[in-house]
Formats: sequence, structure tokens, C-alpha cells
Amino acid sequence: MPSVLLTESLAVELGAREPWPVDVKLFQPYDVEQILLPDNANCLAVQAYLKMCGLHFQIENRSNAEFMSPSGRVPFIKCGAFVVSELDPIIAFVGTKGVSLTNDLDNTQKADMRAYMSLINTVLVNAELYVTWCDPTTLNEVTKPRYGSVFPWPLNHIQCWQKRTQVLKKLSILGWAQKSLDEVYSEIESCCNALSQRLEDQKYFFGDRPTELDGLVFGHLFTILTTPLPNNRFAGIVRGYSNLIELCKTVERMYFDRSVPEPST
Amino acid sequence: MGTVHAKQSDAPRSEKLKTHPNPNEDSHHRSQKKRVTLEGIRARVDKIHVDGLGRTKDDIIIETVRELFKAQDFQDVIVGAHTVRSRLEALGCFRNIGVFIDTSSGPDSTPEGLEVTFHVHELKRIVGGVNTLVGNNEGSVVVGLRMPNLFGRGEKLATEYSYGSKRTTGFNVCLSKPLRGKMHSVFSTSIFQHGSEWPPSGYKQIERGLLFDLGFSSAPNVKHNLQWEASWRDLSCLTRSAAFEVREQSGPTLKSSLRHILCVDRRDQPIFPSTGAYFQLTTEFAGLGGNVGFFKNDLTLQGNWPVLNDVVLQGAIQAGFLKRLTNDQIVSICDQFFLGGPLNLRGFDFRGAGPHSDGFAVGADAYWATAVHLYSPLPFLSTRGAFADLFRTHIFVNAGNVGNFNLGDDYHENWKILSKDFRMAYGLGLALRLGQMARVELNYCIPVQIRRGDQPVSGVQFGIGVNFL
Repeated sequence: MPSVLLTESLAVELGAREPWPVDVKLFQPYDVEQILLPDNANCLAVQAYLKMCGLHFQIENRSNAEFMSPSGRVPFIKCGAFVVSELDPIIAFVGTKGVSLTNDLDNTQKADMRAYMSLINTVLVNAELYVTWCDPTTLNEVTKPRYGSVFPWPLNHIQCWQKRTQVLKKLSILGWAQKSLDEVYSEIESCCNALSQRLEDQKYFFGDRPTELDGLVFGHLFTILTTPLPNNRFAGIVRGYSNLIELCKTVERMYFDRSVPEPST
Repeated sequence: MGTVHAKQSDAPRSEKLKTHPNPNEDSHHRSQKKRVTLEGIRARVDKIHVDGLGRTKDDIIIETVRELFKAQDFQDVIVGAHTVRSRLEALGCFRNIGVFIDTSSGPDSTPEGLEVTFHVHELKRIVGGVNTLVGNNEGSVVVGLRMPNLFGRGEKLATEYSYGSKRTTGFNVCLSKPLRGKMHSVFSTSIFQHGSEWPPSGYKQIERGLLFDLGFSSAPNVKHNLQWEASWRDLSCLTRSAAFEVREQSGPTLKSSLRHILCVDRRDQPIFPSTGAYFQLTTEFAGLGGNVGFFKNDLTLQGNWPVLNDVVLQGAIQAGFLKRLTNDQIVSICDQFFLGGPLNLRGFDFRGAGPHSDGFAVGADAYWATAVHLYSPLPFLSTRGAFADLFRTHIFVNAGNVGNFNLGDDYHENWKILSKDFRMAYGLGLALRLGQMARVELNYCIPVQIRRGDQPVSGVQFGIGVNFL
């Protein structure tokens, strides 16, 4: 769609002229009764990223956030007249305001960071989608009631079915739909292993300052650890990596602890 | 229909009479023929034949023609035969119907007895067609298939499938069945899906649903429709730049509503009427299940008065009001009222009057619009042929208002609220009739009352549609 690209670049061009406004809102589904594991992970990653940048925003819960989003995926931010969805475009958008977490990194480190981010996006995101929409127990006990909770009968069933069809289509194109649950868990295992080895004993992935990779890892791992699922093996695998758990704790303490005042810019 | 001309037949004892489908035609050449008063002639219908029946069931035919046996004199027979013929036509099972009235013969015949024969041609089992349609920024191909008289009692199955140039698909499957009784009631069930795009409001919509409809008439020209509709509407933004107020409305909603449509049409013709009035009131209550809830009324009133020869004065009012029921039930942008455009408030862009957000029309809970037209045939055309009859020139003034009005009990105050910041435009133009259904208008408009945020069109405006104000 060329028009999307055009407006995207236009948004970036125009957005650069204004500073970060005070009334920025982040839209996401209701996190208590509605949001699903993959969406929650993405929302938390964006929240962590914006907080790491020291940018102020308000969270707005909307039951139709997914449909309001221009890309069809949550979360998205409304910044003045601009609506930007998902982490990568938001990072680019924030970059136009002159805010970046990666200024101190050299090119090799930046490429390294990109590689790990795409590892998460290809492995963890798909694994979350798989567990949420393909595992029958999770699908029936968690996904369907939660996803359908905002729709009246019989729309809840129709929407669930429609969404599941979409996700399955995506997963089968990526070759994930045919995998067994054990294969998926071993994929998660190797992904966590890679992340853990890269982190070693550092505070963050690249030294003492957080980057978007830390935000993304926090978003996914924290959600996996804290979301109650009928099958807890997912969280169990992550718990095996103590340095990753430590990272989650650090990010939570630094940026999400309500008792500590928010870091100022 | 007091008199009917009788053709002199060669056969001395059988007076063959043929009723004409249009009684008005008779009056032209009636004067040259011999007048016979029929009210005095006693007559009785002995037998009724219906020729050409195939799959149509007998009971429904007997029901339809039975009334004819009640005839007392010859006029009753003629009038009765005429009504029966139109009722047979209304069944929608037959192509053409001929009526013959003859004196009855045979052992059971009575002295004043008559035999009435209806010659009918049943429609084929399947009728189909392919059309192209251009509208709403999209061209589409429509494939239609009808199965008239499906089970022999006037049931009809109509299916339509459309595929648009923007890859939208729409379909409509409708099964209808006429019910017995005096109310001419028809019950129909439809399943539908159609997509529509509304660039002035920045959203597009896919609507899928189920509709049950019971149509009946309580008096001549007074039609009612009782409907229950369940529709699943999927709204999404047309562009990335759509107003956030519109974006907030995206997502699926489910509406389950009861609707009553009352329609009284006493005009002489639907397009370019010269006399008569038209009234339509739609009342809709949504909120029986689903997550959409409102109570909505929409009124259309039109009156036509001939002024001079062929010059017609037309006055029309449209008004609508939507009431929200509870806070947890949604009223979507597609349920709201909009005003502006060549079909209602000329002199404004389509949906160009009323509340806007970032240039996109967001609609309101109430509106009213009124128009006065003076129609006349094309000037300088003395010969009034069929071609010139397709055109009318008109001058018009139209005014209206749309907004979220806070009405109270004080009528004076209410009137003040409703008339505050109203919009008005006047102009003149040419209207062209397309069959008896649609019309095309080319107007020169001069908007005189414009409000902030409106999108007026001063100059030439083109409009095509079915229902014009």
C-alpha cells in the first residue's frame, strides 16, 4: 500500500518539527479481562521503551484498540495528529523527536541489537501466538473467554473464529502452525538461551544503559512470567535463566515501580 | 367503471366481453360506442376456469378467485374479474394473464350464468441476469438469480451476488412467501452482506446480517413493514488520516433491532408527481441483544399541489431523532444522522453540513430538513412528447439543521434550539427521470446560511439517487 508509506514518511517529516506533546496517549485493550499474552507483551514492551526514554504518556484502555490501530495490532500511540502503532514505528517516530536510546552504541552493537530484536519477534512472538491460539487447552480456557469478553453473543464466537483464522494463516505461512507444542517449547528454550548468553552478568544488554532491546525482552518475558496459563511450562522455561529474570526485575524496579517517582527527562 | 362497451359479435348468443387492463383507456373511445348500463343486468358466475396452471397449487388459486362467485350483477363480474386478475398478477407466478367472460353452457348452467376463464402463463423456474453497477466510488458486477413460485404458492427465492472493483463482495439471499388473508401480507427472510465506503466521514463498513420482514397493508395505499434485523457491522477507517473521533468508532458491533415502517403513498406517480401526498415514518428500536442500543425515528413528508397547468408546487420535510438508551450500549457513527448533499440539502457537499471533526463528518443525534420546489416542464417545448416528459426544471429553496439538540418540554424553547444555526440554500436546475425509480439532477445552488465547518457547494451540483427531498 503506497499510501501508507507516504503518510508514514509524511508523519515522520512533520512530526520532527514539534517537541513531545504532553497529551500523548497509548491505547491498548483492557489488561485485566481482555488482553491476550502476545498483545500484552507488545504493549508492555512499548510502555517500557517510552519510560526508558523518559517520555510522558497516558494509558487508555479501549475494548476496540485492536480495530482502532492503523496496522490492526496493539498498542498504538496518539501523538498530536499522528497515530503510530507497534514498537518499531514508534521507535522511529520517537527518533524524529531527537530521542534515542542507542546514541552511545556503535554500528556493530546496533546491528547486534537489531538481530536480537528480530530473534524475539520471530521466535517469542510466534511462540506466544502459538500457545494462545493453537494449544487447545489455552485456546478454550483462556483465549476464547478473554478475547470474546467484549463482544455480545454470538459475535464473541465469530470474532474469535475470525481472529484465530488470521493467526493460523500467519503461523502457517511462517511454518509454525505445523509444529508440535514440544517443538515450540524447544524453540523458546533456544531463544532464551541465546538471550541469556548475550546478557551474561550485565545490568542491561549493552552495559549500564537500557536500549529498546531491553524494553522488548522485558515486555515479553515479564508477560510470560506473570500471565497465568493452564500450561505453565512456558513460564517454567524462562525461569530457568536467572540473569533474564534479574533483567526483568531491574526494569520493573526502575521504570514500573509506583513507589519510586517517574524518572524525569 | 359504470359502463363497458360491448363488441358486437358474429355469434348471436354469446356476447364476448374482454376486460381491458387499464380502465382509463376505455374512456377515449367510449363515446363512439354504444353505452350499456351493467348494474341492472343480473348475472351469476357459474364456473371459473384457470388455464395454463402447472406447478402452482390449486388451493392458492381457489382462494384468489373465490371472491368472484359472490357477484350479483354483470358489473360485479367485470370489476371482480379485474381485481382477481390483479391479485393473480400480485402472486408473482405468472407472466401474462388474459380474462375471458362467456355465457355458461352445459347441463349445470343457470339462466343468468357466466363462465370466467383466466388464461395464465407460468414463469420459468429460474430467471437470472447479470448487471453492472456504478456507485459509491466503485463499479461492480451483480449476478442475480430468481426462482419465482418455488413451491407453488407464490414463494420466491431471490439471490444476488456483487463483486466490486475494490474487491468488495456483497450478497443478498431473500426468501419471501405471500400469506393468505385480506392484508396482502408477505413474509420474507433475507441474509445479506454489503460493504460501503463513506469518504466524507472517513470510514468504511461491512454489514452482514439477517432480516425478517412482514409486510402488509392495513388500507389501500397504506403499507406497513415490521422487521427484525440482526446485523454485524464492521467499521474501519478509510485512510490513516481519518479523524480520531471516527477512528474511535472502528471495530465490530452487533445490532439487533425491531423496526416498523409505515408508508402512505397517495401520489399519482413516485417521480415527478403532480398531485398527492407521501408519508413515511420509520421507527427503530435497537437493543434486543447485541451491544448497540438506541431508539430512532425518521419521518418523511411530501405534498404536491398543481398550481398552473403542468406547474407543480412541492413541499417536503424530513426529520429524524435518535435517543440513546443506556451508557453501556453503543451508538455507532453509522447509526447517526447526516445532512447535506444533492439528495437532501442541496448547496452542500455530501454530508457537508453539521458536526465535523478534522474535516470528517461525524454525524449527530437529530436533524431536520425542508424543501420547497416549483416544478415545471421544459420551456419552449410545445410538443409534449415522451422525451420532454422525462425532464423537469425546478427552482428550490431548502433548509435544514443537524446537531445534538437538547430538547425539553417547552415548545417555544425547542423551536429556538432547532432553528438556531440552521443551513439554507436556494437555486434552480434540471431534473431527469430514469424510469419510475431514480432521478438525476443538475442544479445551480447558492448557499445562503452556512455554519463554521460546513462544506458548501456554490455553483453546479450533480445528484443521482432514488429518494430526493
